[in-house]
Amino acid sequence: MTLASITKRALVVLTAAGVLSSLTACGLNGDNAGNSSAAQQSGTVNIGVIYPKTGQYAEYGKLFKQGFDLAVAQVNKDGGVQGKKLGLKYYDTQSDAKQDAAVAPKIASDQSIIAVVGDYASPASSAASPTFQQAGLVHYGFNNSASTFTDTGDHVWTPQIGQDVYQKANADIVAKHAKKISVVYLENDWGKQAYQYFKEEAEKQGVDIVYESSYLADSTDLSPILIPARDAKPEAIVDIGYGPDGALVLNTLRDKLGYTGEFFGGQETEEFLSLAGKNAEGTIITGSFSAEGTKDKKAQQFVKAFKAKYGTTPGNFEVTAYQAIIDLAYAANKEGATREGIQKGLQTITDFPLYQGDGGTFKFDQKTRRADNIKPILLIVKNGKFVQYNGD
Amino acid sequence: MIDTLFSGLIHGSAYALVAVGMSLVFGVTNVANFAQGSLVAVGMMIAWWLGSSLGWGIVPTLIAVIVVSAILGLVLNVAVISPLEGRKPIAALLATIGVGQILDNGLQIIFGPQTRPFPKLLATYNYQLFGVRFGTSDIVMVIIAVISMLALWAFLKYGRIGQAIRATSQDPEAARQMGIPVKSIRNISFVIGAVLAGISGIFVGLFNGNINPTNGGTIGMTAFVAATIGGLGSIPGAVIGGIALGVVEALGISWFGDGAHDLITFGALLVILILRPQGLLGKNIDVKTEPLTGTFLGGGRPIVLPWWGNVLGAVALLATPFFFNDYLSGVGTQIAIYAIAAVGLTLISGSAGQTILGMAGPFAVGAYASAILTMQLKWPFLVALLAAGLIAALAASILTFPVWKLAGHYVAIATIGVGYVMVAIIRLAEPLTKGSLGIQGIAFPSVFGQSLYTQQMQYLLDVVVLIIALIIVSRVRASHLGHVFEAVGSDQDAAEALSIRTSAYKALAYALAAFFAGLAGSLLAHQYTYIDPTIFNVNMSLLVLTIIVMGGMNSPLGAVLGAIILIGGPELLRFATEVRVLLYGVLLILIILFRPQGLFAKKV
Repeated sequence: MTLASITKRALVVLTAAGVLSSLTACGLNGDNAGNSSAAQQSGTVNIGVIYPKTGQYAEYGKLFKQGFDLAVAQVNKDGGVQGKKLGLKYYDTQSDAKQDAAVAPKIASDQSIIAVVGDYASPASSAASPTFQQAGLVHYGFNNSASTFTDTGDHVWTPQIGQDVYQKANADIVAKHAKKISVVYLENDWGKQAYQYFKEEAEKQGVDIVYESSYLADSTDLSPILIPARDAKPEAIVDIGYGPDGALVLNTLRDKLGYTGEFFGGQETEEFLSLAGKNAEGTIITGSFSAEGTKDKKAQQFVKAFKAKYGTTPGNFEVTAYQAIIDLAYAANKEGATREGIQKGLQTITDFPLYQGDGGTFKFDQKTRRADNIKPILLIVKNGKFVQYNGD
Repeated sequence: MIDTLFSGLIHGSAYALVAVGMSLVFGVTNVANFAQGSLVAVGMMIAWWLGSSLGWGIVPTLIAVIVVSAILGLVLNVAVISPLEGRKPIAALLATIGVGQILDNGLQIIFGPQTRPFPKLLATYNYQLFGVRFGTSDIVMVIIAVISMLALWAFLKYGRIGQAIRATSQDPEAARQMGIPVKSIRNISFVIGAVLAGISGIFVGLFNGNINPTNGGTIGMTAFVAATIGGLGSIPGAVIGGIALGVVEALGISWFGDGAHDLITFGALLVILILRPQGLLGKNIDVKTEPLTGTFLGGGRPIVLPWWGNVLGAVALLATPFFFNDYLSGVGTQIAIYAIAAVGLTLISGSAGQTILGMAGPFAVGAYASAILTMQLKWPFLVALLAAGLIAALAASILTFPVWKLAGHYVAIATIGVGYVMVAIIRLAEPLTKGSLGIQGIAFPSVFGQSLYTQQMQYLLDVVVLIIALIIVSRVRASHLGHVFEAVGSDQDAAEALSIRTSAYKALAYALAAFFAGLAGSLLAHQYTYIDPTIFNVNMSLLVLTIIVMGGMNSPLGAVLGAIILIGGPELLRFATEVRVLLYGVLLILIILFRPQGLFAKKV
């Protein structure tokens, strides 16, 4: 191939790409400088999903998808959103910030998408937020409990209970059981922030933290921090982390270091229960939902439908994913199945159906764009299952 | 204290077992096998499947793992490594990275992504000593590590095939003339290495308890550190290095907490490289073949466009932001940002011939510098951008300073350490960087008072910076300095003989590369508006390096092409989400096998 022909070819490709894309855009002002009315004609509106289908967080992606799919089927069975069919457009990001940032413009420019849900981890989610904010597209980070998550702009929302609320409940129950504790926590944005809140409340409750250390998510031997944690002779050991690492902490304590005291930590997933096995018995965590314990009627129906479709019992991840779609559909039905409608709905509606906590309804705090009144609940492992715990 | 030491010893013997296989392959084939960790993961996952789903015992499981690993090792050598014989060893190294990606992703597709408990093929916690429980599994693991070390040593020293292996590693040509079937000997070496990896997979699984198909990367990286500490190529050294690393980690983590894990592991690597580069047990001989250096096809020349071609290309590139839609511009920003870092890397890894495996370090420093300068000191973006490049270059130069006295491949290994250590320091420097919490709310880039809030505007900025980077790098390449870099890269000894201080010029080329990585980091930070240390991981380092391999290591324009393929590619491959990363690995291997000079270079 000669040089000239390479150049020519490159130019042809560039020009072709340009001509194709110039059909939808012009100038530097972005696709949304105009209006989104063109796409409103079709019979389907979509919710964009950024989630980890593959990669290290794929387990959560799987749980989310179960919740989403069930919710969309439910919405469409009930007549869709303002007569239109609701669809989902899935984008695998591996919950990796680089991929979130790369795919966000694609979602923002798809006019059939009226809102976005996801991602699993806050850093990845936050990398996509500015694009959605600028496109006037609601970013509903239903799993993003980082307290700064909604700071990006007025289109960034999360119904997730903030870590401040979660960890207050967590510290309160720990304080009821023990006055002298060792704490280990995950060294990432989430774990660090959660521990700050936990520590604040624990100290308020007069709990003495005799040992503390963070750990990296990919560490395989935590004995060097768990030996001093055990040797500090605490009445309980607390872990603030995810599922697999929580199981590693627990198994190391019980199997390797012979610790027999109380343990608070872990995560409400099948993965955690299967990894920790017998060791998980009696472990207490804070959550927002218990399939067995919920007294809310629509939540019980959700559990029944979920079991019928997937044969497993839904946990916190499945229910928050399910609820995210239901919330957005509810907003779309009241204020319009458009980007503007969803945003207006989140701003004005005060009775979103609530599946978590005590059930009933919830609304958003318009300053923080977080759910106002979802209460955390306590869960305990009994006979290899998480059940609701009344805190005594 | 004694309990911490003891638990460190047990963990260290797990490292040792994997490191032995790594060191063997390196010693006899001169290939730094970055897929070794993934081979361990293959053994681990097969043992998991046989042990838990089929309920097999330890002996049949062990036999099955040995058979599968042996076949895999053979295939790996015949299909990928052996065709690269006679090329610069860096080609084989990059190919093993591709193999690692294929294996890791393949395992995840086959076995599913979740973490799972490893079956108790041997009792794991039935003894107790110093307040730490351990099991038959740990004892057997230590015994196997020692036996495999002794057996390999005796085999290489006295066995007929063993002697042939050593002869082949010392001088393949001479060995061939002496009638040694070099091809089969290399096959045997790879099979032994793979079998060792498979066996260690079983014991690493027993030790870790909870396993995940993607564990291979971390396992391989730590084993590589352990093998280097012991002395690459030395088999007793691998055992000593593994145990030393286990103990140092246990004590260090016990004192500083696990948040400092990476700093301890890779800090230990840097300390040993600076004090005793040949490792604890390595022989202090001149490194003749340099497995991690070289431009991997010395004869590759970048394709040079005529001046009007360059101008046309630049104009076309500058025009794209004006008619690309949001999506294309969004992908374009990512491509341009990585291309800027890659264009800089061609100076050190292409021209000066020094492979750099830790570019995520300066990338991160640039991103953080720019975020902190604009947010806390209220510097204007353009000034912060420039400062980010300078600070990245400065930080990288200071941290890498002691490394340049090293020879050959030790520099490349040290850069892995430097990359990790830089990010670890950012994580620990919490008052300044907010550590793991990350920095949020970084403003969009703003130029002369105009905030660049759309994808197109940011893309235009990235393209402008990219073109400036291309002009600077091309100018440098054409200058006297550039020719000196080339001299250092093509023949270090000859360059020294001409009284060129090669290490000083490499340091300079590296500083230039770090400057551009810093610029890229700054652009990235202001586009994401959020950064935290997990963004700047080893995959980022490998990606930047792979980009220039793809395009042609000493071709700046090739770096742009490489970025288009490797960053744009995954977007095109989005239809095949499950196998995306796998296809990536395949693509990398194909390029290395069939167009080793890179896409935008020609053979001479």
